Amino acid sequence: MNAHYLARKLAQAFVTIVAILVLNFLMFRMMPGSPDRVLKNPNLTPEMIAATRARWGLDKPLIPDQLIAYVKATVSGDLGYSIFYRGQPVTDVLGATVGPTILLVGLGEVFAIIGGLAIGAYAGWRRGGKTDSIGTGASLILYSMPYFVIGMPLVVIFAAGLGWFPTSGMTTPGMSDQPLLNQAWDLGRHLVLPLLAVTLGLLGGYSILMRSSIIDTRNEDYITTARAKGLKDSWVLRHHAFPNAMLPMVTLIAINLGYVVAGAITAEIVFNWPGLGTLTIHALSARDYPVLQGIFLLVAVSVVIANLIADIVYGFLDPRVRA
Amino acid sequence: MTPATAPPAAAPGIQRRSGSAGRARLFVGRFLSRSDGRYGLLILAFFAVLALFPDLLVGKLETATTATGQSLQPPGGGYLFGTDELGRDILNLTVHGARISMAIGLMATVITVVLGALVGIVAGYVGGPTDTVLMRVSDFFLVLPTIVLAIILAPIILDIVGADAELFGIRATMIVIIVVIGLTSWATTARVIRSQVLSVKMRMFVDRARVVGSGPGRIMRRHVLPNVVNLIVAQAVLTFATAVFTETTLAFIGLGDPFAPSWGQILNSAQGAGAPGLGAWWYIAPPAICVVLVVLAFTLVGNALDDILNPRSGARR
Amino acid sequence: MRLSMGVKGVRPVAALLLAASLLLPAAGPVAAAGPVVLTVGTTQDLDSTNPFNTYLVSGYEVFQLTYDLLTNFSLDTSPGPGFADTWVRSPDKVTYHIRDGMKWSDGKPATSKDVCYSWGLAMAAIADGANIGAGYLDPNVKDAGVTKIECPDASTFVAYTTDQSDRIFQVYVPILPEHVYGKVDYKKMADEKFNAPLVGTGPYTLAEWKTGQFARFVRNPNYWGQQGFEDQVVIRFFPDNADAMFQALKNGELDYAHGVNPDQFKQLQADPLYKTDAGKANGWTQLAFNTYGTGTGKTIPNGGPSTKALLDPAFRDALGYAVDKPTLVARVLGGFGDPGTTIVPPVLSDWHVDPTTPRTFDIELAKSKLDAAGYKLDASGSRLDKEGKPIKLRLYAPDSEAAYAKSAEFVKDWYGQLGIVVSTQILTSAALGELVLPPPDGTAKYDIELWGWAGNPDPNALLQIFRCDAIGGTSDSQYCNPDYDKLYDQQLKESGAQRKATLAQMQNLIYDQAPYDVLYYDANLDVHRTDRFAGWQNMPATGTPMFTYGDLVYTLLTDATIAPSPSPVPSEASATPAASASASASASAAVSSTAPATPAPSAATGTTSGGGSSNLLLGGLVLVLVVVVVGGLVVSRRRRTTAAGEDE
Repeated sequence: MNAHYLARKLAQAFVTIVAILVLNFLMFRMMPGSPDRVLKNPNLTPEMIAATRARWGLDKPLIPDQLIAYVKATVSGDLGYSIFYRGQPVTDVLGATVGPTILLVGLGEVFAIIGGLAIGAYAGWRRGGKTDSIGTGASLILYSMPYFVIGMPLVVIFAAGLGWFPTSGMTTPGMSDQPLLNQAWDLGRHLVLPLLAVTLGLLGGYSILMRSSIIDTRNEDYITTARAKGLKDSWVLRHHAFPNAMLPMVTLIAINLGYVVAGAITAEIVFNWPGLGTLTIHALSARDYPVLQGIFLLVAVSVVIANLIADIVYGFLDPRVRA
Repeated sequence: MTPATAPPAAAPGIQRRSGSAGRARLFVGRFLSRSDGRYGLLILAFFAVLALFPDLLVGKLETATTATGQSLQPPGGGYLFGTDELGRDILNLTVHGARISMAIGLMATVITVVLGALVGIVAGYVGGPTDTVLMRVSDFFLVLPTIVLAIILAPIILDIVGADAELFGIRATMIVIIVVIGLTSWATTARVIRSQVLSVKMRMFVDRARVVGSGPGRIMRRHVLPNVVNLIVAQAVLTFATAVFTETTLAFIGLGDPFAPSWGQILNSAQGAGAPGLGAWWYIAPPAICVVLVVLAFTLVGNALDDILNPRSGARR
Repeated sequence: MRLSMGVKGVRPVAALLLAASLLLPAAGPVAAAGPVVLTVGTTQDLDSTNPFNTYLVSGYEVFQLTYDLLTNFSLDTSPGPGFADTWVRSPDKVTYHIRDGMKWSDGKPATSKDVCYSWGLAMAAIADGANIGAGYLDPNVKDAGVTKIECPDASTFVAYTTDQSDRIFQVYVPILPEHVYGKVDYKKMADEKFNAPLVGTGPYTLAEWKTGQFARFVRNPNYWGQQGFEDQVVIRFFPDNADAMFQALKNGELDYAHGVNPDQFKQLQADPLYKTDAGKANGWTQLAFNTYGTGTGKTIPNGGPSTKALLDPAFRDALGYAVDKPTLVARVLGGFGDPGTTIVPPVLSDWHVDPTTPRTFDIELAKSKLDAAGYKLDASGSRLDKEGKPIKLRLYAPDSEAAYAKSAEFVKDWYGQLGIVVSTQILTSAALGELVLPPPDGTAKYDIELWGWAGNPDPNALLQIFRCDAIGGTSDSQYCNPDYDKLYDQQLKESGAQRKATLAQMQNLIYDQAPYDVLYYDANLDVHRTDRFAGWQNMPATGTPMFTYGDLVYTLLTDATIAPSPSPVPSEASATPAASASASASASAAVSSTAPATPAPSAATGTTSGGGSSNLLLGGLVLVLVVVVVGGLVVSRRRRTTAAGEDE
């Protein structure tokens, strides 16, 4: 991989991020529905409404004043102040939710990749066999199920029904006073069901892709050669087919990240998981412009960076890709 | 959930040249001989009937005022799937939901495929700076997290279009969802079709004789398009699956129209009424199972179509 | 590192971990016998811990645990001991006695200085014609007609007012510690961060706030009043997720759930483990008609009501006969609520009157009234207005409650039977609030707004919506009637039977003119367990124990597992002036003997999102893990290509 390729990719990523910034700003400012009337209260006065609008800079002209102010602030790390949470910095509000989402989604991805690779590889290698039918069938069904369709029965059966796990939330209040081990245990208990839902939701797609990839690889000449040489089947799968079939997976994992974070929104709703997803819905209904801008920015930029990393990794792996 | 490119994009293969009638029969035969094609088609046919004739099957859509049952009755006593919190028959709601969910999916697919194919063909054929620009734009849309974008775009468009707007009898809220799904899914289709067009273009230079004297529009229509149609069809079916999936998710989040209950909207109402906690599984299971079945069916059919229409070298199906 | 080993190695470990977590769900390292925690659930998220910034019921519930008002509310919502233990009312002022020996939770003495500071904020704002923060609390002081305040000595506070109503005892200004906030003037108060832990004189002080999740309170060791059994209070937020809250309640994670829906309520009514309370809410849900232009003839270009019929009281009155309110209560509210009548909710029994000429549900009568008023049907069955246009009404409702959409469907159907087409749309609360604004802020492009209001113990708050000067502010019917305004100003100066008579006039005026059709008075559906805490009381008797006015009930709870002893009835000062000093003395006597077991709140959380950083750390670790795994796979893949062709 040469420096030219790297430079190009970096430049593209930068341009995309700038475009995201501008788009972000424009989109939200277009939304009518001023946030200070979310809840009707008899004590509102017209002066008070005007003062609130002034405080949040909503009465200046859109372009260029608000846009310039936005860009300057964002670049210096100031994402504004939440409207619903009455002036808490957006970075604080987001910061509290980013961790839970990364935890849930990150672990979900890890388990889904591992499980999907395994199932897909074995199903594809033994095409037409029982492993294939069961594995592929299950994968297809899971692939067709939205996260919440997986999540809701989990809650009903294992949490509300059998009582094995808490029904919602991420921690039990008051845990921060307890020793670390207790805290970890508490977190783990709350994590199991949402994690299961996210993992299962992702598993199907990876499994299917891996299967096709293995099938393609299987028909390659060098595999036929290896098998003809008398090498054990499972060995050939693990040492020849699998690594080569992994290549498309790498790019898919990165591309998926955007969808995953977004799709996990519904999983978070079902389990009341205090992450970005729950915050997004909440901020939307409260028309909390700054928070929505912050979320979108965060997710979009993360995806751009993830894709950039994928491009770089791909560049390492496949010297042919330098288009 | 991965976008409509799973399974991996097809590489061009060898086209069999036989008579068109023979080709059609061959196609149908090959399609039905596959188990995934068979089952998928069967499921789709079932739901098509539901979507086309809901009034014949279960009567008009029940509303709060015409509901006759008690709140949250379990299945039985004349209600196959029980009732919701307003006493409406869930069988009635689910069957009507088929029409709404599928209609939204269909229209979103049309927008996605038309836009994606247009961009893909033009970008692939014309090449050069047009291609670069179009691809940058589509890359941008590819990279954007679509559901987050959808959540944000939907209310904006709604407020701009206006609350009461109705286009061909379709409520504005439904139009918004359709447009939003289309806007956020076209990029994948465009990319896939563009790769195909690129390889078709390479082959075409061998056929210089036929191409001489034709304008680019004509070439694109008469030479490029037929070679890409197969891929478009396969992509369309897969996009349909994604569209239904996305609509369900958006409606569940609360961006649907409470007066036009698609399956996702029914699930949203179920969650809002506390059905999981109350143990009202009959409120959740029918729409959920329907969504899964329809998405599954479209995926199966799309896979089958993709395999048949876009055979890859060396792979015997 | 071989790829095969990597994959093989990770999978069994992962499986083992999953299996382990599944097999040992409820067990685990058991915490030592911890503090007694009362866990309360609500579907409304908390927006701010700054009392002057919060718009929401949850915000009020939160700040009243930490801070006292000058006079708190008793069980019957009459004034009771708060920061002040007794008071004397004179014709021109009220003299409060600040409790002797009272301390803040940090040990500093609590005196009248703190009251002069806190009420002083409001007085300064009023003098400047400004507001503090959200502007919800300081108007209470203005409403009570307070002209001057002074603190002659450390235990006396005097508020000068000639207004003889009870409004001064319903002032929601929390008494803040002057030694903490003394330097903050009213202009800066809105920006002040009320980060946990807080210092207060209330029974429980805020120890931790995890945004969007919960707020935790610990016992105030220096509390002057009766102590509840619980050492800590946790209020858990389930924003827009009534299902999760209900499941948490049934799973034993909550002791109290505020705002369940009718089906959930009914399921628990029969269960002896739970006590269900359908509290009569101080508020209503209404159809607000856009009457912009009545009397003035003004119109809004590309806005305003779609037909002049809406400006005609006879038209609106006729529509009122087409709404079956008992059916709405039965079908939409599951039976929990009352059919709507006048704009003073019946729960305010001192001031509510029933209309003298009530309307009944009678479609045929509605039709004939419409005909008589000049709105006839045309050949195709559409109702025409006096300009000959078919009447098409645009109805908007917010998405904050499912009940709104359902009521809208019913209204659409009933009006349809009159030949009036209703198009319905659900908007978010923010968008709806913007939609109903007239010029200069908006175009008021709507015909009917279906929404609701919640009021204060004094009916003023709800009555002022119909004033002419409320247009552009709280008015969503754009109603303007000088006669109404005159009556309003009049009742401000009255009290007792005289005031009730004026209020009766006002209620009937609005009822007959019908800028609003009050659909129903919703009920607050709350549920609590009975096996952990006892001593629950409703405030008022027709209400619910919590999320009402003040947090008195938190201090009344006892241990339900021990044999019930008659819970000490909190001796409350009566509504009449010159209450005795002995009342609060006996209450505080019960406190001194029990040393609270909970240590002071841990030093860990000093910010509102204290746990956020550790979560971020965890998330970061996971991310590193992911990168390592993927990187490892990739690296081994590279090695693989260089070793291609080798025999193993």
